[in-house]
Order: sequence, then structure tokens, then C-alpha cells
Amino acid sequence: MQKILSVIKREYIQIIRTKGFIIGTILGPVLMAAFIVVPVVVQFISVDQQEKIGIIDASGETFTELEKKLDQKLKDGSRRYLLINFPLKDDLESLREELNQKVLQKELTAYIFVPADISGDGEAEFVSEHVSDFDKRENFNRALSGIVIEKRLKCEGLDPLRISEYMRPVALVTKKVTKKGVERDAGGTFIISYFLVLVLYMTLLFYGQIILRGVIEEKSSRVVEIVLSSLKPFQLMAGKIVGIAAVGFTQYAIWALFGLAAARYSKRILTGFVPAAESFPMPSIPSYILVYFVLFFIMGYFLYATMYAAIGSMVNSEKEAQQLIMPVVMFLVIPILLMMFVIRSPDSTFSVVLSMIPFFAPILMLLRICVLLPPFPQIVTSLLLLLLSIVFMIWLVAKIYRVGILMYGKRPSFGEILKWVRYS
Amino acid sequence: MNALEIENISKRFGNFYAVKSLSLKIPQKTVYGLLGPNGAGKTTTIRMVMNIIIPDTGAIKVLGRKMDEEMKERIGYLPEDRGLYPKMKVGELLQFLSELKGLRGQEARRRIDYWLERFDLSDWKQKKVEELSKGMQQKIQFISTVIHDPELIILDEPFSGLDPVNTKLLKDIMLEMKKKGRTIIFSTHRMEQVEMICDNICLINKAEMVLEGNLSLIKKQYGKNSVVLDYDGDASFVQGLAEVAKVDDYGKSMEIKLKDKADPQELLNTLVSKIRIDKFEVMEPTLNAIFIDKVGDRDAKDTVSH
Repeated sequence: MQKILSVIKREYIQIIRTKGFIIGTILGPVLMAAFIVVPVVVQFISVDQQEKIGIIDASGETFTELEKKLDQKLKDGSRRYLLINFPLKDDLESLREELNQKVLQKELTAYIFVPADISGDGEAEFVSEHVSDFDKRENFNRALSGIVIEKRLKCEGLDPLRISEYMRPVALVTKKVTKKGVERDAGGTFIISYFLVLVLYMTLLFYGQIILRGVIEEKSSRVVEIVLSSLKPFQLMAGKIVGIAAVGFTQYAIWALFGLAAARYSKRILTGFVPAAESFPMPSIPSYILVYFVLFFIMGYFLYATMYAAIGSMVNSEKEAQQLIMPVVMFLVIPILLMMFVIRSPDSTFSVVLSMIPFFAPILMLLRICVLLPPFPQIVTSLLLLLLSIVFMIWLVAKIYRVGILMYGKRPSFGEILKWVRYS
Repeated sequence: MNALEIENISKRFGNFYAVKSLSLKIPQKTVYGLLGPNGAGKTTTIRMVMNIIIPDTGAIKVLGRKMDEEMKERIGYLPEDRGLYPKMKVGELLQFLSELKGLRGQEARRRIDYWLERFDLSDWKQKKVEELSKGMQQKIQFISTVIHDPELIILDEPFSGLDPVNTKLLKDIMLEMKKKGRTIIFSTHRMEQVEMICDNICLINKAEMVLEGNLSLIKKQYGKNSVVLDYDGDASFVQGLAEVAKVDDYGKSMEIKLKDKADPQELLNTLVSKIRIDKFEVMEPTLNAIFIDKVGDRDAKDTVSH
């Protein structure tokens, strides 16, 4: 036991110290936060500048309406869009050419062409150098449509105000029934499920790879037999797997701290940039989900770690390992591909069966737990099946590892590996 | 009590016998040489002693007991396929390897410093292993083998890759350990090293033992019927002489095995007239000659040229 502890300590310290770990752990959440916060912030920063928009109003009556509708203000109180009317002369084409030039010379950000029959089938045009600013496009489209719809309604003798009152959509509030009662859900469940499952998937993949690399390093540097002069192959394997699990927990702990800080301050920070965020309910993760998350991470980790260790012991280099690792990675990828299906129908027979299969269980059962807490017996069954497979895997892999770790040269065939299992 | 008792062990890989019905007794406080050409079964034997490979049949007793995990702390083992964690610092690595041998704290640090000093590696303690030369790494590997002052030291090809200076250093340390009452078993195919330090030897060829016992007794058995000759000239005629049974010609020197009851004096008479002789010595056969004699020319050449 003392020796396994030494191995655990070595693995832990060696990995914690690597640049990869430090960067992955610290920078990971920072990057993730940046991905969410920066675009929001940038969007609100970049608009704080007046834009000149040219208007060619062939209908002759849209310009004033448009000026009324597009009245968004900048922080200093001036108009966000300065609309400039270009009266239509005889030749439309030369006017358009003139405006095209103005756009290219940056005198105008864009111009809008309103056709004479805008109330009929006419197509309005938004002409700009940058047509990818969908926010701006959306603004103009909404304003134009509003003007035209109002005009059409008036032609029919209808009151636009009353019509828009009638057309008000129904508010559909999503609520989630749990044993504790009914609670409001603004899509948070979906985001959290997605997020947790992806974190689980990435970490399983990541730590599997670390184990694989570690075993191959021990083998290719030929240190393994020196170590084995002091302990059993099983002790070495167990120490390595547990040591790297400890690294995983350290990483999770750091991320959890980030998460707590984010949960506490994110709303305040977000509200600072976007006042509207005040009313947006922040998703919160129920504690039982976190417990299951840790449980399934541990289970999934041991299941996959043993497989990665076995593969590492069979090969001589990481390159050789890549082919063998494919099926194992597939076991992780398949549940990710099935995720959308399970989210949509978490209690269908197919989903239930999939979440019982040990290789898929860590990801899919966790997903089901997030989306719709399955009956307790189902969770217990999947955990038990997982545990049984882990025990079986450790038994099997220990045999492969014991022989493989000291075999150099040609990669063993499947038949040879079977022989190792049978004879050792 | 014997340091190691091997009783009739065999190990087969598929249809190939790596070791076949091997029995050995190695007395304590001796240096024991395990000889044999490549692929003879030396490493497999050692790995079975270390419990890394399980023999198909037979029994092994180490220091009077069946080998188990606890015994590993009383044994120092330097494998043939050896290396170190490339990314670890030398000091940390030795600390780790001593911990695995049950050696901790102050005592471990003291011994690490002692051995690094002894091998002139103190300046490298804080360096990463990958920065060390091959030879330095080999010395670190040796330190890790003896750091816990084991009763039984098993070295698989300990001299391979060492320069003459370090070979001598290692040989001196081995003899020093023998004086302290430790038992040393080592495998090699370099005969001159064996002749210098071994008390007993065992010669294995093609999975089976062909010769075993006290080195000087073995040599005596062969009798003083060998001649070592340093010469100048064309000596190809020696092979055909009536007294000569076998010749190993090295160009400037040769080892001649005489036929039974042949008189070395007559051989000398013949030689003097034909070639220039710098040295003529009647002696016991060298281990090299015995090795070649026992293993057969073809096998031996593979080994020697290696």
C-alpha cells in the first residue's frame, strides 16, 4: 500500500507540474468565460458610434416614417442612425451608382432603397460593404415591415394598434415537475445538461489520453522493469490510475471554485454590461446532479482508464496506439452523437437501454438524470452494471498489462493478447 | 543457506523453450556469473527469479524463502532493458525509487547524496534525467539498484554501454559489496569481466545449462593444456601441426588448445623456427576458450562480435 501511495504521489506531482495541466486548468474556464462574455460585451461596445444611412425613397412617403421608427439613441443621446434622404431624380441608376461610391468611400455605412410599390410586391434593398451585421439588418427590416404593415392595415380601414394587440403572442412558460414541486425553467436545464455532459466527455477523453501517454512513456523509456523490481505490475497500474484520478479531482475542484465565483458574481458582471440580464434567470445546478456527476465521472474514469492502460501496455509508441484507441474513443463519441435524441425523449425504451450499457452509461445516464430524473432503480442498475464492468475490466486489463508492459517489438495480435489473458 | 536456489525450472513461450530444466545453487557472499550467448535464457531466468515471469514448472527460493513482494526490498535488481523517467529530476527520481524499496526520509536523502558523490554526479541532482548522457543514466540506474543496500544484487548485463573508467568503478563497487557480505549475481557475455570477479559461474546455452561450478575448479578440470602466443608473421600453419587440437587466431596473438598429452615444448620448438615469438605461455584455458568450446564456434562468434 505504501508503495502504491508513492506511485500515486509521483504521478500526481509530475502531472500537476506540467504546463499542459496548468494551462488547461486555469485557462480553460477563463477561455470559456471569455467565449461567453466577450461577444456580448463587444456587441454593446461597438455600436456606440453614429452611422450614416442613405435612403432612396421611391415610394416618396417612407422616409419620415423610417426616421420615426429608427430612433435608437446612443449613450450621449444622439441618434444611432443618421438617415439622409437622397431625393429620387430622373435617373435611378445614376443615383444608385453615386450612393455605391459613397458607401465605398465610407461616407455612408449603408443605404436603403425603398421601391415605389413597397406596399405591394416591391423588394426593398439594404446595400452595404458589411452585410454580415445581422443585428443592423434586422433593425431596418423590422422598421420597414412595421411601416408597410401599418400602411396596409390603414388602407383596409383597420387600426394598427388594435391589430397588434390582437396579434400578441401567448406567453408559454416552461416549468419542470420534480418530486420537490414545480419550478420555472428558462432553458437552463438544457444548457446545464449539455454543459455537464460535455465536461464529462472531455475529461474522460483527456485523462484517458494522459494514462495512455504515461504507460507508453514508462514502456518506451524502459523504466518499467526497474520499477517492477520493487512492486507488482498491478500496483503500478493501480497507482497510476488513482494518481491521475487525483489530478482529475484537483482540476474539477479548481473549476468548481471558478464556477462558484461565476455563479455568485456573473449576474452582477453581466448586468453591468447588459442591463437586460437582470431579468434573466441564471441557471443553477441542483446538488443531486452534482453528486451524480462526480459518481459517474469516477465510474466512467475507471472504466476508460483501465482500457487506456491496457492499450498503452500493448504498444511501443503513441503513433501505434492511435489505431487501437479508435474503438475506445468511439465508445465515448457514440453517446455524444445520441445526446440530442436522449434529451428529446429521455424516457423512451431506446434511451433507457442505452443508458444501461456500461460504456455509454456515464454520459447518457448523467444526461437523463439532468433532463428528467429517471426512476431510482434504473440509476442503481446502471451504476451496478458499471461497477461490474469495471471489476471485470480491471481483472482483464491487469493480465494484459502484466505481460504487455514488458513486451517490446512487434505489436501483439488479438490472438496473442487472448493468450496473455489465458496464461497469466 | 544459499542466496538463491533454483530447482528444475522451465519456461516455454509457445513451442520455444526459453529455459529448460535449470537448477542452480548460489552460495551467499559470492559473485556469480551467469554466462551464455544472446537468447540463451539468462534474462528469462533472472526475470523468473524476480517473479516478473512465472515459471511453468520448478521452484525458486531466494534468500531461503519463496520469492514474494516483501523479498523485493532485500534484493537489488538491474534489468537488462532499463531506463529512467526522462522528465524527472535525478534527485526526485532516486527518492521515488528508494521509496519503492521502503527507504524514506533522512536516511534515503543521505544515501542518495552518498552515491551521487561516489559516481561523481552530485552536480546533476537537480537536472532532468533526459539531460544526462547514456553513461550517466546507467550510473543512476545502478544507484537505484543498490540504494537500499540489498543482501542480494542481481545485475543483468551491468557493464553494457559503460566506458572503461566506469566499468572499473562498477567492478570495484561490486567487489566492495562482496566484501561486505552481499551476494552478487550478474549476467554477461564478456568473459574477461567474469574471469576478474566471479567465484562461480554457470554457462547457459539454448535454454539449458552446459557448465556450472567454481571458476577455478572448472579451469583446473580443463588442465594446463592451452598455450597463449603473441607472435609476428604468418602462423596459418599452426592449425595443421600434430600437437594442436584447436586454434583461436587473433592475428597477433592466438590461443592454442593442445591435444591430450601433447608437449608444449615441442610446439615451441616448431614455432621458433617459423615465426617471431613475443610471448609463449602455457596456461589453463581462458574462459573465452571454454565458452567457445562449450557453446560451439558458430554461436560464440555471434556473441563475441556483439
